[in-house]
Amino acid sequence: MSDPAVIPVPATPVPEWRQYLRFAWNAFSQSVEGGWKFYVWMTLLTAVFLVGANAWAVQVRDGMALTAMSDHVSWGLYIANFTFLVGLAAGGVMMVIPAYLYHDEKMHDIVIIGELLAIAAIIMSIMFVVCDLGRPYRFWHMMPGLGKFNFPVSMLTWDVIVLNGYFAINVYICGYLLYKRFRAQPPVAKMYLPAVFLSIVWAISIHTVTAFLYCGLGGRPFWNTALLAPRFLASAFVSGPAFIIVAIQIIRWQTGRMFGEGAIRTLVSIVRITILISLLMVVSEIFVEFYTGGSHTGAAKYLYFGLHGYHELVPWIWTSIVFTVVAVILFMQPRINRRPLLLNTACLLAFVGLWIEKGMGMIIPAFIPSTLHEIVEYRPSLTEWKITAGIWALGFMIYTLLLKITINIHSRKLKDASGARTITPEDSLAMGDGGV
Amino acid sequence: MNDPAPASPKTPCGGNCSCSGGSTNASPPPGDDGSTRRAVLKGLGATLGVAAYAKALAPLTELTKETSMDEFLQKHYKELSKDEIATVITRLTQEAKEQYGADVTISDPKPQEGVKFGYALNLSICNGCRKCAEACHLENNHDRPSHQSYIRVFEMTKGSMDFEKGNVHYDHPVPQPDKYYMPVQCQQCEHPPCVDVCPVEATWKEKDGIVVVDYNWCIGCRYCEAACPYHARRFNWQKPQIPAPEINPDQSYLSNRIRPQGVMEKCTFCLHRTRNGRLPACLEACPTGARVFGDLNDPASEVRYVLENKRVFVLKEELGLKPQFFYFFDE
Amino acid sequence: MSRLLKQHPSLAWIALVGFATLCSLAVVWAQKNLGAAESAPVMKSRPKAEKHLVAIKPGPPTPRLDTGLKDAQGRAITAACSTCHSTTTPNTMRNTAHDLFQAHRGLSYAHGNLTCLSCHNAKDYDALHLADGRSVAFPDVMTLCAQCHGTAMRDYLHGSHGGMNGHWDLSKGPRVRNNCVNCHDPHHPEFPLVRPVLPPRDRISVPNVPAEH
Repeated sequence: MSDPAVIPVPATPVPEWRQYLRFAWNAFSQSVEGGWKFYVWMTLLTAVFLVGANAWAVQVRDGMALTAMSDHVSWGLYIANFTFLVGLAAGGVMMVIPAYLYHDEKMHDIVIIGELLAIAAIIMSIMFVVCDLGRPYRFWHMMPGLGKFNFPVSMLTWDVIVLNGYFAINVYICGYLLYKRFRAQPPVAKMYLPAVFLSIVWAISIHTVTAFLYCGLGGRPFWNTALLAPRFLASAFVSGPAFIIVAIQIIRWQTGRMFGEGAIRTLVSIVRITILISLLMVVSEIFVEFYTGGSHTGAAKYLYFGLHGYHELVPWIWTSIVFTVVAVILFMQPRINRRPLLLNTACLLAFVGLWIEKGMGMIIPAFIPSTLHEIVEYRPSLTEWKITAGIWALGFMIYTLLLKITINIHSRKLKDASGARTITPEDSLAMGDGGV
Repeated sequence: MNDPAPASPKTPCGGNCSCSGGSTNASPPPGDDGSTRRAVLKGLGATLGVAAYAKALAPLTELTKETSMDEFLQKHYKELSKDEIATVITRLTQEAKEQYGADVTISDPKPQEGVKFGYALNLSICNGCRKCAEACHLENNHDRPSHQSYIRVFEMTKGSMDFEKGNVHYDHPVPQPDKYYMPVQCQQCEHPPCVDVCPVEATWKEKDGIVVVDYNWCIGCRYCEAACPYHARRFNWQKPQIPAPEINPDQSYLSNRIRPQGVMEKCTFCLHRTRNGRLPACLEACPTGARVFGDLNDPASEVRYVLENKRVFVLKEELGLKPQFFYFFDE
Repeated sequence: MSRLLKQHPSLAWIALVGFATLCSLAVVWAQKNLGAAESAPVMKSRPKAEKHLVAIKPGPPTPRLDTGLKDAQGRAITAACSTCHSTTTPNTMRNTAHDLFQAHRGLSYAHGNLTCLSCHNAKDYDALHLADGRSVAFPDVMTLCAQCHGTAMRDYLHGSHGGMNGHWDLSKGPRVRNNCVNCHDPHHPEFPLVRPVLPPRDRISVPNVPAEH
């Protein structure tokens, strides 16, 4: 069989960074090719994303009055999603801890799935913040050097630093590991292990700093609790692994290859603990709020039972509570590892339950009642839902592409013009049908 | 992931998918019909995609009508030289003319040396008529449809300082016998949390104690609004609507000029008036004389008399923000 | 743990750097809240050239009764109070509003236990009188009010009672202050009920009046 794809290794060595750039470009351009399922999936996501992009453009033009936010509830669905996604990003790295700190070999293979999730989640969370800005094109005011960066006093500047830093670390680690894998070279520990450890600490820092964003505000008693950061972390370490458990199964189903069975078991045992801790912290908050009483309890009363006849958030939080409790029960079943349906239901319930708890259940009630105890309710507007859906669609697109790159490399399908690796026609064909 | 599993992924997909079309069965030489068609389809898809993106984001281009390059590149207020301020003010004056049809004068008064403003409000007298809120609304060129004002007046229940028992939406003759009235506006804290949290230093405390916002620097993240315990900050959820004849032409850069859409604003103790020695609009509008304004650094000032001789308290003192706005009762 | 550190010395570095950062931050944050608190605002007096005056609006002029008649130019014909009162004997028994008749009918009167002649001068109905009997012209009514309302007058003199307009800084411009009777009806000094203006709206362009709670 003639093999036009085989290209000889060039005589003069190409500099490493140019090889890397070429690798990155090839990885990207080949990741957008796939089967019809892939195209349908991506077209669907693009369509949703475009709806969101359009809604955002209109919002920037006509003003944030298109949202349901007000001077009383000044943050809404966007910041709620932002908070949750920072958690998802932090939780994605939870797999790194067993893999590298405790040398859990079965985790090594899927660490990258978590780190790619972190990348996608960080991009989404940053986009949610941008959508929340009244004047997004003034973003340059925040750039150190160009504008004014109120560091270290403003927690938001901290968040900007840690989120971008976390993004950079994860891009570096994933890029390095994939590149080495692609070149069929063993990764050099010195080159990536410090970054891996940094990313563990950093994962905790992004969520801690995000919690500090809220709990440092003395005027909002609902947030002003030292438990907020631990609570954020605990819930992050549920939602991250829950997402990855499902993602691993989808990849298996799409690629038709079995892997990560041990990893799923490890993740399930992590979630079993963290979801209990998370629930315990919620219970502890509820106890303090309701046993103490007083006017600082207004927000909690409003959230769980409604206040003075207003109860917009009550269905949200009880949905969350029911979902989380059912998820806990399911996760505690010993047979959950053998029953994918049960497992996926539990993951989905936990994921949605925490999305509500950390978003609508954590961000909104701090504003209701307002600092002067006025009650102005909040129900996200259509614009907000469109933009939210658009950003999630984009996040899924990014994650799909990143996974495809990884799968291409791991199954040695990535073509490379530099000739460092050649591919066979069979590989090339397989890539066409693989279609994640 | 493990090494590629043997055999299984390499089997063709069986033809029930349209994926790589005919190319699944034989390896075609490059450049044949299949790949040409594929390239054409791809090109078409890309073109459609770009068109869709352009269409989706088209509303953004309409922004350029109201957002000039000069506005985009404008520096932080504190870094503007005198000449640059003059240029900016000229531009803002023109914008007011173009967008609102109003002839306005925008000044930039600086803090007076040695002056520190303080405000006191007599709760024994205030009758809750909301004339102060209305005066603020008119003086500060607030959005008309939303009744925006920097002052919210609470009808409070006698015997309670709890805002939970308060109500701002009262609409009956005032004062009611079992109520007292509590206007709340920016307390111009000594340690303003809104200033601490701003990521871009778009808001700061001036030498005379007034917390101001550079409306042309604010990015509109509303973190300050979340941080303020007094509900003193307001966001411009849309471009303020004010009929030209109602626009107050006496404006200043840091206070009552018409704000752009998507930025924060707040009470500035009417600095365009007070820095020129005048009384704030809310004080002049008060029909009961409940409001006392003056220089905290001047021992002979009216506000100092109140602080030294009345029963004075500040809102939410326990937060430690040291408001420069005081409430008091007659004996 | 020590095994872990031996294997990965970078962990120790990260921990060290993190701890140092935290310490320095604690200092920064503490200064933000405490440091500034110690430097209490300096209350220094500021020499002021008080070039401008505080003017008190005069009380209303001596009242005259509108007779309901018009003169040749169409102006109302008014009469001084003394026109009638000079020919009548003061009746100290008439002290409540419904006792009054003729020109005074319908007067709303609620001012403590005062009677008409507590303030009105029976010797000269075109003036008022103080407690010691001295006559006071109508525009100078504040002297009269101050006899009983000493605390209000004290606050007034210190600027903490009474509405005003103009300048807080008298080196920049004058100030005009209200007279007692600009705000208080001397016969009914308590403030009347008024309709509040400008009800707040919570959402942009959306009138929203939630139920009172």
